[in-house]
Amino acid sequence: MNAIVMDNPDTHSGVSNAKLGVWLFLASEVMLFATLFTSYIVLRMGSTTWPWGWEALNVPLATLNTAILISSSVTIVMAYARVYDRDRTGFRTWMALTLLLSFAFLVVKAFEYGHEFHLGIGPSTSVFYAVYFTMTGLHGIHILGGILLNGALLGMSYSDSSWNDPLFLGRVEGAGLYWHFVDIVWIFLFPALYLL
Amino acid sequence: MSKSNAIDHDAHRPNATLYLKVFAALMILTGVTVLISKWHLPRPQAIALGLFVALIKASLVGAIFMHLWDEDRLIHKFLYVTLACACLMAITLTDARHLVGKITMRMPVAQQHPAEGHPEK
Amino acid sequence: MSHSESGHHELSFTQKYIFSVDHKMIGLQYMITSMVFLLVGFGLMLLMRWQLAFPGQAIPFFGHLFPADLAPNGVMSGQFYNTLGAMHGTIMVFLGVVPLGVGAYGNYLLPLQIGAPDMAFPRMNMMSYWLYLPGGILMLGSFLMPGGAAQSGWTSYPPLSIINPGQTVWILSMVILITSSLLGSINFLVTAINMRAPGMSLGRLPVFCWAQIVTAVLLLLAFPPLEAASILQLMDRVFHTSFYMPKDLVILGKQYVGSGGGQPLLWQHLFWFLAHPEVYVLVLPPMGIVSEIIANNTRKPLHGYKTMVASMIGIGIMSFLVWAHHMFISGMSPVLGNFFLVTTMIISVPSVAILTCLIFSLKGASIRYNVPMLFALAFLPLFGIGGLTGLPLGLTVTDIYLHDTYYVIGHFHFVVVTGSIIALLGGVYYWFPKWYGRKMNDTLGQIHFWGSVICMCGIFLPMFPMGLAGASRRLYDPTAQVHNLGVQPLNVVSTYFAYALALFQLPFIYNFFHSIWAGEKTVENPWKATTLEWACPSPPPHGNFTRTPRVYRGPYEYTAPGRKTDYWPQTDPS
Repeated sequence: MNAIVMDNPDTHSGVSNAKLGVWLFLASEVMLFATLFTSYIVLRMGSTTWPWGWEALNVPLATLNTAILISSSVTIVMAYARVYDRDRTGFRTWMALTLLLSFAFLVVKAFEYGHEFHLGIGPSTSVFYAVYFTMTGLHGIHILGGILLNGALLGMSYSDSSWNDPLFLGRVEGAGLYWHFVDIVWIFLFPALYLL
Repeated sequence: MSKSNAIDHDAHRPNATLYLKVFAALMILTGVTVLISKWHLPRPQAIALGLFVALIKASLVGAIFMHLWDEDRLIHKFLYVTLACACLMAITLTDARHLVGKITMRMPVAQQHPAEGHPEK
Repeated sequence: MSHSESGHHELSFTQKYIFSVDHKMIGLQYMITSMVFLLVGFGLMLLMRWQLAFPGQAIPFFGHLFPADLAPNGVMSGQFYNTLGAMHGTIMVFLGVVPLGVGAYGNYLLPLQIGAPDMAFPRMNMMSYWLYLPGGILMLGSFLMPGGAAQSGWTSYPPLSIINPGQTVWILSMVILITSSLLGSINFLVTAINMRAPGMSLGRLPVFCWAQIVTAVLLLLAFPPLEAASILQLMDRVFHTSFYMPKDLVILGKQYVGSGGGQPLLWQHLFWFLAHPEVYVLVLPPMGIVSEIIANNTRKPLHGYKTMVASMIGIGIMSFLVWAHHMFISGMSPVLGNFFLVTTMIISVPSVAILTCLIFSLKGASIRYNVPMLFALAFLPLFGIGGLTGLPLGLTVTDIYLHDTYYVIGHFHFVVVTGSIIALLGGVYYWFPKWYGRKMNDTLGQIHFWGSVICMCGIFLPMFPMGLAGASRRLYDPTAQVHNLGVQPLNVVSTYFAYALALFQLPFIYNFFHSIWAGEKTVENPWKATTLEWACPSPPPHGNFTRTPRVYRGPYEYTAPGRKTDYWPQTDPS
C-alpha cells in the first residue's frame, strides 16, 4: 500500500496508519458479529424449543477445529516474532504452518457440512440450523479472506524489496490481528452453537 | 521525521515463551468447556459457565496475541466505544421477550419437546 | 516531511481521471456520480408524482416507453409504483445524499482543511469509489432484471421483502455499498487522527471536519449491523431460512417453504439500528457546510464553536439510542416505546443547540448575501421546520395517529431536501472556485436558489395537511380512500411544484458545466476565508500544499481586533 505518512509529533497519535486502519476495520467487524449474536439470542428467546448443540451437531469435530484454529493463532504470532527478529526462513515456516492449519479447519468444516447435508439437514430445516449455517458460513468466509491475506504475505516474503520494506512488520501484525479476531469469533461460536 | 520512527515505537516486542504458555492455557480451557457440557447442567448454568470460559479465552487472545495488554490507549478507547455501541444492541433483547409472550398467547404452537422449555422461563 | 509515491511525473489519462488515487479527483468523481444518482432518484419521483396527482391517467410523453406489464397503456401499475417508491428512497439515501455529503465533500475537503497531502490510504480511497459505482449501477440495473427492482420500500420490511421479487439484487448491491462506505470511513478517521498539519490541534479543526469525523464513526459502527441483517435476509430469500419468517405463514394460499419460527420485527430493529444514525449521516455534513459558509459570510467567528462540536459528538452518541422511535406502532414492547420517546426528546437538544449557534452567529453581522450564503440562510428556517415537525412523531401518543401518513413524508423531506440538499447545493457554489479555479455565474445561481427553495416548499408543505387529514403514505391510488378526496387537490399542487423544481435544476446543471470551462477565473482565496483549503492553489495540485502548512490559530478568526484585513488565515504566522 502506498500509504502517505505524515509524522508531526504534535498532531500524530503515535499509532501507525496501518495499525489504526486495521483496528477500525476490526471495530466494524465487532459490530457485524455483535449483530449476528444479538439476532441469535433474539431468535432463541423467541422460539418455544431450542435443541442442545451437542445433540444436534458434531462436537468432536468442532473441538478438533477449535484446537486447529487456536494453534493457527499461535503460529501466526510466532511468524510475527520471526519477522521482528528478521528471520526470513523462520517466518516462512510459521506462516506456511498457519496456512496449513487454516486449510485443515476448512476441510474439517466441509466434512461437518457434508455429513449434515447427507442427513438431509440444511439451513431451512429449523431456525437453529439457519443460525448455525449462517454464522459458521460467514466465519468460514472470514477464514478464506485470512488465507488470501496470509498467503499474500508469505508470497511477499520471497521478494527482497517487500521483505526489507520497514512496513512489512506492520503488515504481518495487521494480518495477525485480523486472524486473532477470527479466532475470537470462533471461541464464542463454539460454545454458543455446539455446547449450550 | 523519518518513516521508521513511526513504525519502531509502534511495534510490540514479541515474547515467544508467553505465547506458548497462553497456547497451553487456551487448549486446557477448550477441554474444560467441552467437559462442562458433558455434565448436562440446566440451561442457565450451562450458558453462564460456557460464556464465562469463552470470555476468558477471548481475553487471553486479545491481551497477549493481539498485544492489547501494552497497546496504545487510543486503540483501547476505540474498543470501548465499539463495545459500548455493541452493547446497545442488547436493547433489542428486551423486545424479544415481549414478542415471545405475544406469539405464544395468540398462536399456540405444538411443542415438540415440552420438557425443554424456553431457557429463561 | 510528507511525501507521496506518485511524485510529480506525468500521469496518463486513466490514472488522472478514472483510476485516480488523488483524493480531489475521487471527491469530484463522487460529486458527479452522486448528483447523477440524485437526478435519477428525482426522475423516479416525478413519475410517482404523476400517479399521485392524476391516478389512472396515462403518463404523458413517457408512458408508452415502459413495458406493458409495468405500465399498461401508459398507466402506471401498482407494482411499478411500489418499485419506484422503493428505489427512490434507496437511491436518494444510499446513492445520492450520503455519497455527496461524505464521499464528495469529505474526500475533497477533509484532507485540505487539516493540511494533509492526501488521504491516509489513497488506493483504498479509490477502491471505495470503485465499489460505490458498480454497487449503484447494480442497483439501477435491477430494473432490468426479471421481476423488476425491489418493491418493499427502502426499509425492506419482511415478510414482504422475502416474498417480493427483485429484493436479492437490492441486498447484493447494498452489501457492496456498505463495504464501500466502510472503507471510506476507516480512511477518513485515520486521516483525521494522524495526518493533521503541525499546529492543527483538535480544537482548531473547522466544524466541517468535526462533522465528517462524527459521520465516519457513525458509518463505521452503524453500517455493519445492516450488513449482517442483509445477509440474514439474503439467507431467507436464497436458502429459505426463517430468520424473519414467523411460524405457519401462509402466502397466497400456500404455506411458506421454510421452517418458520423467526421474527419479522428483528429486521426492523436491526435496520433502524443502522438507519437512524444514517439520518444523522445525511444531516451532519450539511450542517458542517452551512457552518463554514455562515462563518465566512458573516465575517465573524462562529457563535459557540465548542458548543457546536460538543453537540455534534452528542448527536453521534445519542443517534445509536433512538432507533426504535420508527417502530412505535410495530407491535414492540410499550415499555421500550417509552424509553425511546425519552431518548428521542433528548437528541433534539443538541440539534437545536447547533441551529441556535448558527442563528446567533448572524447577530450583529454585516452579512454578505452571495449565492452560497443564500443557501446557508435558507437552510436555517427550513431545516428548523423539518426538525420541529419531527417532535410529534417522536411522541408515542401523536405518532399513533401520524405514523405512515404524508405528514411523515413531509417531515423527513424537509429535513433531507430543504435541509441537506439545500446545504449541499450551497456548498457547490462555495467551493466551486477551489475545485476548478473558476466561479459559477451569480445570476443563474440566484435563479436556481429562489426557484428551488420555493418549489421545495411547494412540494412538501402540502404534505403536512394531507397527513393530518389521514392520507397514508404508501398508497398507489390516493383517491381509493374517501377521506383522502378532500385533500387530493394538494397532491396536484405538490406535483406541479415537483415539475417546476425539475425545470429549476436546468440553470444549475448548465451553470456547473459551463463554469468548469468558461467560468470567470478567480484567485486562490476568493471568499477571503481563513481555513486551510484556501491556502493552496485553486485547483490544488497533486499533493495539495507546496510545503506542509503550519497552523497558528482557530478556524474562524474573522474581524480580529487590531488586524488590517477582516480575516486572519490559520496559516498566517503574524
